[in-house]
Amino acid sequence: MKEDLKNLREFTISSLNKAQTEREVNEIRVKVLGRKGTLTGILKSIPSLAPEERREVGKIANEIKKELEERIEEALVRIRDQQKREALEKEKIDITLPGRRIPMGRSHPISQVLNEIIGIFSHLGFEVVEGPEVELDYYNFEALNIPKGHPAREMQATFFISDDVVLRTHTSPMEVRTMEKQPPPVRIISPGPVYRRDSDPTHSPMFHQVEGLLVDRGITFSDLKGVLTYFVHQMFGEKTRLRFRPSFFPFTEPSAEVDIECVMCKGKGCAVCSNSGWLEILGSGMTDPAVFGFVDYDPEELTGFAFGMGVERIAMLKFGINDIRLFFTNDIRFLRQF
Amino acid sequence: MKVSLNWLKDYVDIQMGVNELKEILTMGGLEVEQVIPIIGGFDKIVVAEIKSIRKHPNADKLSLVDVVTDAQNFSVVCGATNIAVGQKVPLAIEGARLPNGMEIKKSKIRGIVSEGMLCSESELGLGEDSSGIMILSKDLKLGANLGEALGLTDTVLELSITPNRPDCLSIIGIAREVAALTNQKVRYPFIPDYPKEGEIHKKTSVTIIDPDLCPRYVAKMIEGIKVGPSPYWMKSRLEKVGIRSINNVVDVTNYVMMEYGQPLHAFDFDLLEEGRIVVRRANEGEEFVTLDGVKRRLDSEMLMICDGVKPVAIAGVMGGLNSEIREDTKNVLLESAYFNPANNRETSKKLGLETEAAFRFGRGIDYGACLNVANRAAMLIKELAGGRVVEGGIDAYVKPIQPKPINLRIQRVNHVLGLEIPKRMVRKYLENLELTIEEREDFLVVTPPTFRQDLEREIDLIEEVARLHGYDKIPVTLPKSPPSSRTINRNLLLEQKAIEVLIHHGYHEVITYSFISPSFGDRIQLPQDDIRRRSIKILNPLSEEYSVMRTTLIPGLLETARYNIARKNSNLKIFELRKVFIPKEGEKLPKEIKYLSGLAMGFDGYLSWTSPLREIDFFDIKGCLEDLLEALRIDGVRFLRVENVPYLHPKKSSAMVLNGENLGVLGELHPDVLSRYEIDRKVYLFEVNFDKLIENSKEEIRFSPLPKFPAVYRDLSLVVDKELEVGKIFEAINAFCDPFINEVNLFDVYEGSPLPEGKKGVSFRIKYQSKERTLTDDEVNQDHERLISKLREVLKVDLRQ
Repeated sequence: MKEDLKNLREFTISSLNKAQTEREVNEIRVKVLGRKGTLTGILKSIPSLAPEERREVGKIANEIKKELEERIEEALVRIRDQQKREALEKEKIDITLPGRRIPMGRSHPISQVLNEIIGIFSHLGFEVVEGPEVELDYYNFEALNIPKGHPAREMQATFFISDDVVLRTHTSPMEVRTMEKQPPPVRIISPGPVYRRDSDPTHSPMFHQVEGLLVDRGITFSDLKGVLTYFVHQMFGEKTRLRFRPSFFPFTEPSAEVDIECVMCKGKGCAVCSNSGWLEILGSGMTDPAVFGFVDYDPEELTGFAFGMGVERIAMLKFGINDIRLFFTNDIRFLRQF
Repeated sequence: MKVSLNWLKDYVDIQMGVNELKEILTMGGLEVEQVIPIIGGFDKIVVAEIKSIRKHPNADKLSLVDVVTDAQNFSVVCGATNIAVGQKVPLAIEGARLPNGMEIKKSKIRGIVSEGMLCSESELGLGEDSSGIMILSKDLKLGANLGEALGLTDTVLELSITPNRPDCLSIIGIAREVAALTNQKVRYPFIPDYPKEGEIHKKTSVTIIDPDLCPRYVAKMIEGIKVGPSPYWMKSRLEKVGIRSINNVVDVTNYVMMEYGQPLHAFDFDLLEEGRIVVRRANEGEEFVTLDGVKRRLDSEMLMICDGVKPVAIAGVMGGLNSEIREDTKNVLLESAYFNPANNRETSKKLGLETEAAFRFGRGIDYGACLNVANRAAMLIKELAGGRVVEGGIDAYVKPIQPKPINLRIQRVNHVLGLEIPKRMVRKYLENLELTIEEREDFLVVTPPTFRQDLEREIDLIEEVARLHGYDKIPVTLPKSPPSSRTINRNLLLEQKAIEVLIHHGYHEVITYSFISPSFGDRIQLPQDDIRRRSIKILNPLSEEYSVMRTTLIPGLLETARYNIARKNSNLKIFELRKVFIPKEGEKLPKEIKYLSGLAMGFDGYLSWTSPLREIDFFDIKGCLEDLLEALRIDGVRFLRVENVPYLHPKKSSAMVLNGENLGVLGELHPDVLSRYEIDRKVYLFEVNFDKLIENSKEEIRFSPLPKFPAVYRDLSLVVDKELEVGKIFEAINAFCDPFINEVNLFDVYEGSPLPEGKKGVSFRIKYQSKERTLTDDEVNQDHERLISKLREVLKVDLRQ
């Protein structure tokens, strides 16, 4: 009898292992554990055994029954898993097919760079103001300490609308317009298009500048260096070296040109930086007391600094663009790259 | 401004290398734009000494010459007769190439080997003399490269000089900067101390009629000169700084101009009628022929240098043909003057004559140096052209100009720069610049020299201190001042939002020029009285094509479309958010209005395996605008049919209207407009007044609670006349005012079989929902029925079968 039980167990387990469907498992269950099943038969015959054999066989038979019930459950789980896997397998797709994309547009590279610049100065607490592009000579030149006949006027080829109206040649007029409108302190940047009568691969008759002005008591040249150093590090990376170099602008004094280490050659010297290792990226300086004179600010009490940068120039450096005119022909194949 | 390094070294010591000098100058404010090495071109031509001269055994006219360099003996065959033992001469050895292209090889001349060649000036390209071997100075080093030995190897620095520093438009000016930046003193060139009194006053005179334009006029005379070519050193120096050699007299004037920055003019004294100088304004309309042979028309604000009878030069701009130095000129009158810079600039600009002289006078020369410079030039003319300097000098200087002293507070220096430097350092920096200083307790009284007219105010001196201290030594700090209280700019935020919507709709932003062609009005067929035709004109445009300020963004977008189509980019969605310029009656400046304009054409999206390509149509741009209005939170805008937008298809255009105000238009472009832009496919366009959108954008967002009760949907299919606009059905549904109707969506529009001709079917899904309770089927059915009968009545439509 013990031998029979052992054989039954082994046979049943091996059948379960071979079973491929739930039906096969159920058939095995009925055959072994069903009302007329083999094991059920054995269990039923136990009372007729001799008392000492009865106990032993009964124990073994019950153990086997419990085990086989577990094995049946396991087989079912295995088979159901298998079925799920097969069902999923049937749903297989070619994931190498291209995805369904939503064709998005882009903002213009100049707008992107402009936004980045605005973002950096917002962090520093600068307010954004915009001003007229068709501007009075007074704001564009006169009040910036560039009287008629001043040689500095020749540095900026001007488009004229009339004797005293021009297309602004820089965003600097907003310095004066802002100071006229509000008492100090002033902490503004003014982005926008400017116009100069010039056209070649590095000059466009319309381009963009961002002007900045900070006026308060106790503003120093070292503050100018601090703010512009922060800007350069944010815009071009924290490791970018920069230098402040004396220069001349009629509405700032002392004036400084800011150069950054050439982004192409990292300062080694290349065609982009004419082998100097440096790139000029913005002009700046302490607001000239004469400018304060035009807006009734007290030049003894107040100091300030101003700066101005060309957005195209920064964008060209950032993206490696060599012809400024690409920005304004708006070839869609160009615009898509940004 | 070009500077020869060798020339510069005459006035200041430069021990450092060129790169270091470049760095020092650049960081001192004199930007070095370029460094141009000048190579003498004398490779393998060296200084040698003649040891012996023997006759050539096979030729009467040739000699055998033994020469020695520092290391080697050479035996050469030579035909010249001007040589002697002990002389130093230029020796070209094997491998040398002469300027005329001749290459030196070891060769046999009449049977004797010549190991090189002794050269004449002309063979070396150093002069005209070909009569004999060039005899070199005894102190040249044997074996040295000839170019180096003669100082021909040089470096030219090209400096960018800012307009405030006319003093740096001279070699001495640069030398002063180098000296100041490297703690040295300038070695000024020798100037003879000629007396002012003497013979000259008997020979000529200077009368200044307009001293406002000519505060100072110095004249010197040199008699009995011989005009001829300049020596090599003079020619080569001038050439290196970009000036062509003319003759010894003119060259001296240019040389001294480059040296001191004072332009000089030399007149042929014998051509000056009455032998005198008169300085006066020109007569209006007077004509004058300048040195370059061009006849110029003058006006009464131009200053002229005249003789007793007629003009002989345009003061400080260009001399006249009638008095220039000629080959046979014997006597010279030399002018060294100071002219009013502003007037000089005006004259030069009006005549379109940009000369080296005008450039310097226009920016202001050193009025204190006129006499010295004239003396120096007179001496050099005598040296180069012979003759004698007539005793005495005329110095017409009615009201001598005195530089004004400036008070410089040390505390102010530090306050502006963010530094703490002591008085003695400030003083040292300014003294380095040759400024005169008187010390007071806490300030300095500083008098600038006459060559620094840019120094007028305290801040000008503070800049000098900063420059000499070094910008790089000024600390880096952040301002203690508080941030602006208005850092968030609402308009910019709304612009960003609008741009986001457009980008999500697939539009690329473009930026086109604000100036356009005046033909735009005709091309987009604006009526003659349309305000947009009255655009602002640019007086000096780049070209006619860019000569008026735009009053609409449409032409720019159409040009961009044409540009792209020509490059086969014909699926296009672009927009521009920029200003237009509308003139305002009685005001100098126009009104600048921001517009948002977009253009779409071709197929939408990507070619893809998932769905077929679809051609863009009116509803693409309309949908984009609807999303824009939603993003900007502008409610109540109605899209009305319009037929009178001149550049749009009369049957496919619409206006966006809010409370009776027109915000913009959209539609398909009129085919006539398209053909004028040579575009052969359908183009859709919108133009919206963005400033008005911003005005109407609602600030606040208020949350409404989420619905607690379920919604019920009912579909509504109608068959209506084809001509009936769906907008009317929407209006009728809205007018029904059912409180439970929460949303109405149109999901189908259909024409054709099985519908009869002239009919169309439209289907809506209507969402019913209550805020207070769950609606029962019966309730919804009742409402829906009532809606249907109402629509039947108002629109006379059928329920679709």
